[in-house]
Amino acid sequence: MSKMSQKFSTITNIAKYTIADEVRQKSFLVMFVVSVIFVFLIRGCYQGNYMINGQELNAEAVVATVSKITFHIITVTLMLVTALLSMRVFKRDRDEGMQSCIFSKPITRMQYVMGKILGLWVLSSFFMFVLHAIIFLTVLLRLNIVMPGYLAASVLCSLNLLFVVIAVLLLSLMMPDIAAFLCVMGIGIISFAADWIFATTHIPLLHMQSGWTGWETIYYLWPKLSGLQHFASLFIVGFNGYPRFAYIYPLINVIFYCLILGMILFWRFRNEDII
Amino acid sequence: MIELKNVTKRYGTLVAVDDVSFSVKQGEYFALLGPNGAGKTTIVKMLLDFTQPTSGSLSVNGVSSTNVASRAAVGYLAENYHIPPYLSGWQYLQRCAELLNIKRSDAQEQCHRIVESIGMQGREHTKANTYSKGMIQRFGLGAALVGNPKLLILDEPTSGLDPIGSREIRQLLESLKSQGMTIFLNSHLLSEVEKICDNAAIINRGKLLVKDKISALVKESDSLEDVFVRYVKG
Repeated sequence: MSKMSQKFSTITNIAKYTIADEVRQKSFLVMFVVSVIFVFLIRGCYQGNYMINGQELNAEAVVATVSKITFHIITVTLMLVTALLSMRVFKRDRDEGMQSCIFSKPITRMQYVMGKILGLWVLSSFFMFVLHAIIFLTVLLRLNIVMPGYLAASVLCSLNLLFVVIAVLLLSLMMPDIAAFLCVMGIGIISFAADWIFATTHIPLLHMQSGWTGWETIYYLWPKLSGLQHFASLFIVGFNGYPRFAYIYPLINVIFYCLILGMILFWRFRNEDII
Repeated sequence: MIELKNVTKRYGTLVAVDDVSFSVKQGEYFALLGPNGAGKTTIVKMLLDFTQPTSGSLSVNGVSSTNVASRAAVGYLAENYHIPPYLSGWQYLQRCAELLNIKRSDAQEQCHRIVESIGMQGREHTKANTYSKGMIQRFGLGAALVGNPKLLILDEPTSGLDPIGSREIRQLLESLKSQGMTIFLNSHLLSEVEKICDNAAIINRGKLLVKDKISALVKESDSLEDVFVRYVKG
């Protein structure tokens, strides 16, 4: 086996163990089952006949709106679940002796951290994809409507989960696990709240101020988790004349944050003492 | 095989290891002795790059301990060993083999041999949360032996074992001697060290007090315990 493939094999092995260890946790199984039941309950929304005062509504438009709402609910829920899954990963490995076992072998800290990130990202993305796929199949089977953008949107939103994984892992090295979880949730809540405030204050009729303010700078530099999710949801309902390049910014923003936080995480973990 | 040159490790104002230098040759059974808090585990951690020295250098197999290649043929047994409770001893050994990129068929064969040598046949497929401390310690030693290492670093290997278990581990370590393995043993069980090791160093409050052949150390006194007490108490 070449050196490169050996390194990759080590990363995938660590990712595999991370997934196996998470799936074994009772809390994970409970979260997964509850989420699947919740999504199955939503299927009642897809009855096919939408009538108001005896007038039939455009089923496709209603389905697209309902699907968009469920898409957002699932994605936000998975961000929460991902943060919960990630927050105790390093501590558990340390307490169960896996870190000292791994690092007594010719395995670098970078390989270990990459394996952890990969495992958590794959697991949470798969979790989210399964829930989105249930909605996709429900719409397909009940209404015979194919929404090809739904699954593409799910894949795109997995970048938000990658951000959550890296951010929680990094912060869990610096503060108690629960504080790391709350901080990342705070970043997410601020992102969604800021987008909502920005959208309402930038309605042309209400738009009074001009010029670039400090708050706007912070708004644009803040992790655009909400923006990326909104961009992804446009794959479901269509872009409707929105210029696609305007929505590329949240994508670039989140990728940039993943890279920067990832580098800080590698650097920080390299200097960690293994207990 | 192992070389420490003027190694110092400070935690804030506390000096855990103070300008320690010594070497261990290939095939040697070496014991690092010292009371609790002497700095023995810190030295082991620096050898495995779990923590970096404040100054000085350490090398394993001729490679700096900060280089991952230095751990290519090293087995390690930590003090108070842990195994994830949901894994069986067998699954744990398999994981260790996979982490070393050992082929599946070779790994199976090696794990069978190791389970036999640590005397855990029949218990290897039960979950680790049913194991006693001694059983976990045995599987820990088994995990250290995966990949046929040339150097074993053992931190209190018989900690938590009953006298029979201790004897079995000791016999296993003695049998490894014939295979040319080097052992770096961290212990304060002096009777055990006296029976297994060729050379020993005594460390106290981070300072290396003496390093010599056990036969030379014991020559002056009745037992290694007397030597130890004499050096540590000054």
